Amino acid sequence: MLDHTLTALADPTRRAILARLAAGEARVTEVAQPFAISLNSVSKHIRMLERARLVTRRIEGRDHVLSFNPAPLDEAQAWIDGQRALWAHRLALLDDILKETP
Amino acid sequence: MTDARKTATVRVTHRYDASPERVFDAWLDPAVAGRFLFATPTGQMIRAETDPRVGGRFTFTERRPDMGDVEHTGSYLQIDRPRRLVFDFAVPAYERTLTKITVDFAPDGSGCRLTLTHEGVFEDYVKQTEHGWGMILDGLERALD
Repeated sequence: MLDHTLTALADPTRRAILARLAAGEARVTEVAQPFAISLNSVSKHIRMLERARLVTRRIEGRDHVLSFNPAPLDEAQAWIDGQRALWAHRLALLDDILKETP
Repeated sequence: MTDARKTATVRVTHRYDASPERVFDAWLDPAVAGRFLFATPTGQMIRAETDPRVGGRFTFTERRPDMGDVEHTGSYLQIDRPRRLVFDFAVPAYERTLTKITVDFAPDGSGCRLTLTHEGVFEDYVKQTEHGWGMILDGLERALD
């Protein structure tokens, strides 16, 4: 799941789509409008965001409404924070070891 | 653009009241490195071996209560005593992808300031800048406010 999240975030178009949806939900056509690429290409980006659960889709009549789901980002951030805490722990252990024998 | 800008990067610093040489040597001496390098708070190191030359390999195996024996293995890419040590490593049981660690040692008064950079954490499947991360996470914080 983390892989999907990070892959989804790796592309500037997808980050721009997320930034747009973070401001509020929007129809697929509204999301696609600012981009100088085809609706089909935008749809592919949206599907990658849906696969990563960063975007959810709701169908209202003929409209597909997209919204931003931040939960997977928390997971990714938690992983990075965990790595940082682990290295900080190890560097502190080395400090203790060096103090044993001046 | 440096490599560090292309990948997700974790950076941690620590100041030691010891010379850069002493701090540097601690990373390559298996008896010392085995006590901290791939340690976790609840694990016990059961194997620590190093071959401290460029291209030489190391293995650190820690016994962890929840995961059994976890082997870390990698090789030294740069050994520039007492300034910089670069190595890559992987935990083959979980992830074949190698990630890279750069450790910089700078004199700081009577001691040494160490900066560890863990980069390429997601190298094989994502090219992501720290800036991009910061941006998306800042945006998320605003969105959640």
